[in-house]
Amino acid sequence: MDKALHQRLPAKSKRKNNYRWKESIWGYIFILPNFLLMLVFTLIPVIFAFGVSMTDWSLLSAPTFVGLDNYVRIFQDPVAKITIKNTLVFTAMSVPLRIVLPLLLAVALNQKIRGLPFYRTCYYLPVISASVAVSMVFLWILDTNFGLLNRFLVIFGLDPVGWLTDPDVALLSIVLVTVWRGLGFNMIIFLAALQDVPEDLYAVADIDGANAIQKFFHLTIPLISPAIFFLIITGIIDSFQSFDLVYNMTNGGPARSTLLLGYYIWRQAFDYLRMGYGAALAYLLFFAILLITILQWSVRKRWVFGEQ
Amino acid sequence: MKRKKIFRKILIHLLLLTGAMIMIVPFVWSLLTSFKPAGEVFTRSPFWIPWPPDFSSYERILEKLSFIKYAGNTLKISALVTLGQLATCSLAGYAFAKIRFPGREKLFLAYIATLMIPGSVVMIPNFIVMRNLGWVDTHRALIIPAIGSAYGTFMMRQFFLSFPDELEDAAKLDGCSPPKFYWHILLPNAQPILATLGVMAFQGTWNDFQWPLIILNSESKRTLQIGLSFLTSEFHTDWTILMAGSILTILPIIVLFFLAQKYFVQSVKLTGLKG
Repeated sequence: MDKALHQRLPAKSKRKNNYRWKESIWGYIFILPNFLLMLVFTLIPVIFAFGVSMTDWSLLSAPTFVGLDNYVRIFQDPVAKITIKNTLVFTAMSVPLRIVLPLLLAVALNQKIRGLPFYRTCYYLPVISASVAVSMVFLWILDTNFGLLNRFLVIFGLDPVGWLTDPDVALLSIVLVTVWRGLGFNMIIFLAALQDVPEDLYAVADIDGANAIQKFFHLTIPLISPAIFFLIITGIIDSFQSFDLVYNMTNGGPARSTLLLGYYIWRQAFDYLRMGYGAALAYLLFFAILLITILQWSVRKRWVFGEQ
Repeated sequence: MKRKKIFRKILIHLLLLTGAMIMIVPFVWSLLTSFKPAGEVFTRSPFWIPWPPDFSSYERILEKLSFIKYAGNTLKISALVTLGQLATCSLAGYAFAKIRFPGREKLFLAYIATLMIPGSVVMIPNFIVMRNLGWVDTHRALIIPAIGSAYGTFMMRQFFLSFPDELEDAAKLDGCSPPKFYWHILLPNAQPILATLGVMAFQGTWNDFQWPLIILNSESKRTLQIGLSFLTSEFHTDWTILMAGSILTILPIIVLFFLAQKYFVQSVKLTGLKG
């Protein structure tokens, strides 16, 4: 992002404040349609949401101002506590898998092997498939009695697992489907990053007698660290907002084991019509994301290549 | 040395093939299920291949469930959002990249900042706005907010920045105004980036679920994703129907993917550059 911004700065200082008004007006006109939409449907709502979070709005009656009550309530709500815990566990399980597995595959694909388009297509199919359809397919695969996975397990003499019915396993199942669905996307980003790593660096490392594992950890990882950084942040943001799979596969159950924040916000706001409480939860999510992003950026210098 | 290399290649292919299997098997499995006669998915071994395929679940879904209607709705919404994004983002991207006006850098920074705002935060206020506008249960509510896109604008700007300034200066000398330049020179040369953004917008809208779920109530206005989601309440564990429905909603995007694979891959790579 910052790189893109700086690209423009020199031009600005070269011909400073020398605007031709006729051209400037066209600039405003061209931006207007998109900007108005962004203003009305993103910028104003962000502020409006904060206002809503300080009311008890139920849509059925006029809202009254309740101050920070909704925020206090989050910390007294035992279900919110479970939800936040689940969301953190979900994030801690899914984000590392969504980094390590795609990276492994991208490294394998980067070995000048045959069949790259074939593999890329296979791994990319889940990415373009709608989340609802993916949910249906996995509801069927993970079905306790007739699902493909348990039928396999039985063949090997193992006990069937209640993938979506056992409270100890259901969240893991949602993690696995999430990873399955996002694998190809991250893989393509890693592959693009790997293809940008200059070959001669590896040649130099070969001369120094570095083995494959040393090269991977001391050369490859640092050189693609911007991509890793980006995918960790977007991975966290995604998992904080997870909705589609939970809604279509488990509805937060069994025994609240798959209640995730994204789903809980929707349920409070649109199932129970507690707009105020829903907005407060959404703001909590917003702050959590902001905090994590800022934290990440501040430690970024220490491990992301090109930032030192 | 050579044998070691071949051995390594085989190992890599084994890894990649295993992964590819895991990616593909769910699709194959749902396709097979959709061609089985209802009921037989529970009684017979799961591994038999239905031959000749039984199309009755597709017939049922197309006749009874107004899937065609849902597909039409989804196509209309996705196409309009795509066109809207292409038009407004290319205009704004051009202005941010090439036209100089006071406040441009600040405005652009505001755009970048909106990329940080999670969808869950604006969902509730936007619903309230839609309610006050009387747009609940309309397709407008799905189309118009989706047209404004900070990301699309950012993408367009990055592309137009790489456009040679000389071309613009020459055009200006010939008395070419910004709208003419945009229409006659910029757009015809922006085909790859337009296709990339178009594919992204279309796929995203086609697959969108949460916002349509919030906005739509009437059966006749449903999109494919909403229709498919409601199938579970009607057909519970009738897996042949559910799988046929899933295949039908995925199929158009897969076809689009094979037609425009290059642009799909490009759109992912550009997303990665954002960081």
